[in-house]
Amino acid sequence: MPQSANQRIANMDGATALPRKSGELVFHDQWERRIFALAVALCERGLYTWDEFRNHLIAEIAAAEQKHETDPGHTTEPDYYESWLAAFEKLLAEKGIKI
Amino acid sequence: MSAQHGKEHGHHDSGSATQQEKRATPEQTQALEERVKALESLLVAKGMVSTEALDTIANIYEHDLGPMYGAKVVARAWVDPSFKARLLANTTAAIAELGFGGLQGEHLVVVENTSAVHNVVTCTLCSCYPWPVLGLPPVWYKSAPYRSRVVIDPRGVLQEFGLTLTNSTEVRVWDSSAEIRYMVLPERPTGTERMSEEELAALVTRDAMIGVTRVSVGG
Repeated sequence: MPQSANQRIANMDGATALPRKSGELVFHDQWERRIFALAVALCERGLYTWDEFRNHLIAEIAAAEQKHETDPGHTTEPDYYESWLAAFEKLLAEKGIKI
Repeated sequence: MSAQHGKEHGHHDSGSATQQEKRATPEQTQALEERVKALESLLVAKGMVSTEALDTIANIYEHDLGPMYGAKVVARAWVDPSFKARLLANTTAAIAELGFGGLQGEHLVVVENTSAVHNVVTCTLCSCYPWPVLGLPPVWYKSAPYRSRVVIDPRGVLQEFGLTLTNSTEVRVWDSSAEIRYMVLPERPTGTERMSEEELAALVTRDAMIGVTRVSVGG
């Protein structure tokens, strides 16, 4: 179990930067907190490297933004942790974990 | 302050303003809660993760990036005058005594608040910040309005943080750079004479070590 925050995760930048307010992480709902922790936990366990997860996250954020731009009437603004959830599910599938 | 200047922050800030606002409907939120709960139950059943580990991780990232280590330095300085003297004379060496690292290549200077002098830290050029001691900088610290205004009108800015200084208090603004970073040693609040070092550390907030608030008992 980790004793301290992984700075590579805490300090991601650009589109993947963790939503923060006054330096603190912003989780609106419990599911955001849980999916954040799930992705970190399985990385700590060695199932994948953080870069692998981050690459999926970058792709999901870009896809969500594109979807929003092409069809703004039907999609709400892309949400960071929804992209995070999608990235996590795809990475699990890639690692052969059935969900 | 962060809310009113939210749109003006630069590229150093993490997260966009839209990410800070909740916008899912209750139905969407409910669906997401269930989807993540199912995922978690499945991974727990597979023995890949434990509920306790998830709680710990969330807790670490939410709280332990805060001012824990800076707060311990402050508490030690309050209870140990000789440590305080060393801290003010050579901050980096004094902090190393406590076993805290991470300050290599960064010159940290601690400035002491007294009844006569109030110190506040900023970085007018960018957002230099003693993150090894204070954790990640708050968004407002990096905002252009804070960085420019605290130099011109420190009393006005401190007032917005709820800190009113008397006219007889001298205000010193410290401009951090890549070479020198500052941290404020706040005044020990009255009524804490019987508190242990650990209890004292729990009172010290990040904002007090930036110098925009005082340390108070009970919040």
